[in-house]
Amino acid sequence: MASDPPTQVVAGGWHFFSAQEAALVEAIVDRIIPADELSMGGKEAGCAVYIDSQLMGAYGASSRLYTQGPFLPGLPTQGYQGEANPAQRYRAGLAAIDAFLKQRDGKTFVELARAEQDAFLTAMEAGKVDLPNGVKGPAFFGLLLQNTMEGFFADPVYGGNKDMVSWRMLGFPGARYDYRDHVSKHNQPYPQPPVSIIGRPEWLGKGA
Amino acid sequence: MKKLVFTLVIGALALAIAPAWSADQADQIIRGQYQAVLGDCAGCHTQAGGKPLAGGLPLETPFGALVPPNITPDGETGIGNWSEADFRNMMKSGIGHNGVRLYPAMPYPAYTRMNDSDIADLWAYLTSVEPVSNKVEANQLPFPLNIRLAMLGWNALNFTEASFQPDSSKSAEWNRGAYIVQGSGHCGTCHTPKSFLGADKDSEFLQGASLQGWFAPDITNNAQSGLGKWSEEDLVKYLKTGVNAHSIASGPMAEAIENSTSKMTDPDLKAVAVYLKSLGSDAGNTQPAKPDETRMATGEAVYRDNCSACHGGDGAGAGVLFPSLAGNSIVAQGSSETLARLVLAGSQAVHTADAPTTPAMPSLAWRLKDQEIADVLTYVRASWGNAAAAVSSDDVAAVRKGLTQ
Repeated sequence: MASDPPTQVVAGGWHFFSAQEAALVEAIVDRIIPADELSMGGKEAGCAVYIDSQLMGAYGASSRLYTQGPFLPGLPTQGYQGEANPAQRYRAGLAAIDAFLKQRDGKTFVELARAEQDAFLTAMEAGKVDLPNGVKGPAFFGLLLQNTMEGFFADPVYGGNKDMVSWRMLGFPGARYDYRDHVSKHNQPYPQPPVSIIGRPEWLGKGA
Repeated sequence: MKKLVFTLVIGALALAIAPAWSADQADQIIRGQYQAVLGDCAGCHTQAGGKPLAGGLPLETPFGALVPPNITPDGETGIGNWSEADFRNMMKSGIGHNGVRLYPAMPYPAYTRMNDSDIADLWAYLTSVEPVSNKVEANQLPFPLNIRLAMLGWNALNFTEASFQPDSSKSAEWNRGAYIVQGSGHCGTCHTPKSFLGADKDSEFLQGASLQGWFAPDITNNAQSGLGKWSEEDLVKYLKTGVNAHSIASGPMAEAIENSTSKMTDPDLKAVAVYLKSLGSDAGNTQPAKPDETRMATGEAVYRDNCSACHGGDGAGAGVLFPSLAGNSIVAQGSSETLARLVLAGSQAVHTADAPTTPAMPSLAWRLKDQEIADVLTYVRASWGNAAAAVSSDDVAAVRKGLTQ
């Protein structure tokens, strides 16, 4: 039911991805959001776990979208207009990346050095690599980027944003909805820590 | 509105069949209809959406299920073949037509204090409602409790037929309030603690009791657990509308307000308030131990994230929309049963003519674990001047279990 509360998506075991696909997605999300002085990387934050879970659900199957033809080329502002749903696009896109790299470099993406991974993703985004089976590099990169950001910034209940890492980075207070006590306190930081839909560690006295 | 419609219908009927009912009889029926409001007959004998007084939903008592029977004047399945004397005798003694002994889920231990003219009016009203054919198997108790004769012994131990005894040292208003509370209003049926035999403990009259998964709070004037912090006006407003600055009615009380107290006259509500505010004493009150600081810190974190948006960072609530938790009498009860239930299951205010908004509290059962609920309730019960005992996760678990059964 739409009104059912969300349940925590937990890492450990892949539901949509094969082990090989999962390793590839984890490597990609870790280049889109690399670990740095601001935060952990996309892999540790659970972005691939988030995407895996989404692809198993309504998003992956486009079950809440109109998906019948005709399939005509859309304007850039109209987003993806093709026949495939996200689950099919991931399956085809990930296979195309590894097939392309094996032919070009004799290695999979995971086996490349970080600088080589970045160079490949940059070229793919710019439409400068010719992926097999009709996969369009810029469009698939756009999908990966979009879903990685979702995983990193969405509520941790959906599998990403581990320990509310992105919210702590930004100072976003999370699932709160009343600030009456703070509206008039200008130029003062908001004192409450972020909270997820399913809570925060302090609820069980575990400390922040 | 219901009352108005009813009055109009009765009026129209009286005109249409004028030969059958004299003006005096019509007046008596209307007075009797008000007695049915005071006694909240519909609360038990009418199912939601069902025909008026044609039988209710099962009452789950600690001894088993009892189904409130059809009390419309249908000859086969209702009380159409009862005489007025049968009815009066039942109200006074719990012994109905053909000597059938009623179980005290029918609050005859309270109705026994009603005076004869009020009972006669009520009878006139009951004989005037639409007869409905609806067979109700009232007694669904397990053996041997299903033997009605057992009530002979129960009555010998626990019941004496009585009349209301006015106290001449008190005002007429106080006496009117006492008459309603002790008699037709049967407040003690829920709010007075019961002995193991299910009889009222008269020494603890209206001091709060657990029933059907709720805790009916202390409604004496006790400053700690009762209505000591409520003014008479607060009490009248609550009974009339279901809402005041201290509380929003929930559970069985919400039903009682909808069916009964919201339809009482203002002078009667004032009388009830005057009487209730005269009961109880603070002599036995003790200050519970302060909860430990870790639990308070955890409880505060849960409170900030789940409760403060409506109930305020300082527990002050927001007018009649979100009840104040500071000085809230449900918060202050010895038992946390109702509190835990509200957090687990949520609640919605009752719709009354004067307070039609029915603000709601969501269920948090999916979001909070038993320990988290125990901690936040412990925090709320020990903050902002509240001083009620800590709540354990076992307490919460028991309520959660009751809700999922």
